[in-house]
Amino acid sequence: MTQKPSRTQALYAWLDERLGLTTINKLVLDRKVPKVNWWYTLGSATLFLFILQVVTGIFLTVYYVPTPDHAYDSVNYIMQGVRFGWLVRGIHHWGASFMVLFVFLHMLRVFYMGAYKYPRELTWMIGVLLFVLTLGMGFTGYLLPWNQRAYWATTVGTQIAGTPPIIGPWITRILRGGEEISALTLSRFFALHIWMIPGLMALLIAVHLYLVIRIGISNPPSKDE
Amino acid sequence: MNEEFKKKYWERYLRLKHHGVKFYPDVVYKDLVVSFALFLLLVGLATFVGVKPEPPVDPNDTSYIPRPEWYFLFLFEFLKFIPGELEWVGAVVIPGLAILILFFLPFLDKNPYRHWSKRKMGTGIMTAIVIAMVGLTIRAVATTPKQEEGPVALTLTEQIALGQELYSIHCAECHGPDGEGGEIQGVEGLEGVVLKPINSQDEMYTRSDQTLYNIIEYGQQDLGMPPFGRAYGGELGPAEIKAIVTFMRYTWDDRVELPQEAQVGGMPQLGPDEVPSYDEHVEPLVKRYCISCHRPGKKNNNYLMTSYDEVLHSGDHAPVIIPGDPDNSIFVQLIRRQELDFSRPMPPTKALPDDVVDIFVRWIAAGAPKTAEEADQIQAQQGGAAPATPQP
Ligand code: HEM
Repeated sequence: MTQKPSRTQALYAWLDERLGLTTINKLVLDRKVPKVNWWYTLGSATLFLFILQVVTGIFLTVYYVPTPDHAYDSVNYIMQGVRFGWLVRGIHHWGASFMVLFVFLHMLRVFYMGAYKYPRELTWMIGVLLFVLTLGMGFTGYLLPWNQRAYWATTVGTQIAGTPPIIGPWITRILRGGEEISALTLSRFFALHIWMIPGLMALLIAVHLYLVIRIGISNPPSKDE
Repeated sequence: MNEEFKKKYWERYLRLKHHGVKFYPDVVYKDLVVSFALFLLLVGLATFVGVKPEPPVDPNDTSYIPRPEWYFLFLFEFLKFIPGELEWVGAVVIPGLAILILFFLPFLDKNPYRHWSKRKMGTGIMTAIVIAMVGLTIRAVATTPKQEEGPVALTLTEQIALGQELYSIHCAECHGPDGEGGEIQGVEGLEGVVLKPINSQDEMYTRSDQTLYNIIEYGQQDLGMPPFGRAYGGELGPAEIKAIVTFMRYTWDDRVELPQEAQVGGMPQLGPDEVPSYDEHVEPLVKRYCISCHRPGKKNNNYLMTSYDEVLHSGDHAPVIIPGDPDNSIFVQLIRRQELDFSRPMPPTKALPDDVVDIFVRWIAAGAPKTAEEADQIQAQQGGAAPATPQP
């Protein structure tokens, strides 16, 4: 070696030696995939929306208070008082709808291309879990602003979930944390919405992506496939 | 699934991969384009459409039409086609089965082909389901009646203004327009009862917002104050009661300072030669001093004051206002506290401040104009150049 490596090169080499950056780069970025089309962007768009929801959601929890006395006013404060609060909440609000839409579209693209078949069965099954959890995020998040729309939609939703004979009333009680929608319902939904469901989703997304990379993205099927 | 099939699959896949593209930059580029476009779209929606304001929770408002988030609407609509006692089948069993089938789809679907033209049944069923979901969603949107919603007061200014209005309608007839109390007159069942002021330091310093809220909601039923909260048979929901409390606090409690951005104009200002108009000057006064009795359902000789037309033309002794002739207008005679054989002086409890009487008299003398422009025209005809209409 004749030339002294520059400082950045030296830093990279130091980190690479410990983190294995070159290997990661080879496995994740610098790999070959079959020619794919624009429909294949739906999964990464869903991933982007998930990250956006996590980031904006974290900012919202700074001011949001999950109690019946303060929830509505704290959301109102985010909209009126906090600088750019309206933007963060606006993105979170619209992002939620788009997340559901994109998860669904992504699922449809996988379905129509038959990409759930061998060897991607597990990727698909984890995907279905993610789909259900995304709907769960929508359902639990809807109650948090504690406004009329939220309250009545949750009243009806939890009541519908409780229609089956025998176990029905029990399901409703579990969801509501009692007979009626109350402070307990709100804190339950809050815990589910900001910790339990997203935590589980992050884990499942990691496995989902691991499988996508390990197995390789499917090629768009040709007529004889 | 036999090994032969798997081997053939991988051979083909690896060949396609070999002739394919690099993940970075080819695929990453497409992904970034779509994600970035989505981001711009969301920022645009947040900025230009925003989030629709909603009133706070009111469990007693049974007129509210529950609507789920749009992506659950199809299920909601679907349930309407299912007889009541089987609701649970449509609500829980069918969606549950659908999810289970989806979950195990890779094992249920034994067809080895991937191209849609060789899986006509599967793709056909899915297409039918998606079309049904979209159709049900559209039907739900089209058939759900619009929710009637009053304005939602979000900023402090809006809340105080709403509280002021509600106070004038519901409270002023007994407690007086400024919370000064006194002898109640003209209210059925409470005639002659003397109320202490509720705008005093004694009152404001010793009642928390929550206490005021409870008093309005439940009333002081043993003392004669009826409940106003819907929970106890009144007309007001939580948002409205809160607005009244906010109005009281920011108007009468001398420890509370109104934040800069919430300074409300107070009562309209009128220059010495200016001609008042209904919209700008008279309506706020009517709302403050008269509306609590002069609205439907109260004892008021059918003289209602909720609009310009009513103020001019309604009542058993109409017209009570003769534009251009204040002295012969019953309206003016009564606020000047003349006793007439069909009515006591107005307002019954306490004389209006002189400057308020003055505004009413000048408005009627000028011909009772409705809009500020009409008032300006009258003023121009009377001689003096019209001063610029003061901005509220
Ligand atoms: C939070 C939700 C999800 C995220 C973040 C996500 C993310 C991704 C990404 C980035 C890919 C690779 C690119 C692409 O195919 O678009 C992918 C592939 C895949 N996803 Fe998802 N996904 C989610 C939900 C789902 C759902 C609901 C399903 C199906 C029920 C699913 C099934 C699959 C399958 C089978 C693949 C492999 C496709 C192939 O190799 O062609 N995923 N996912």
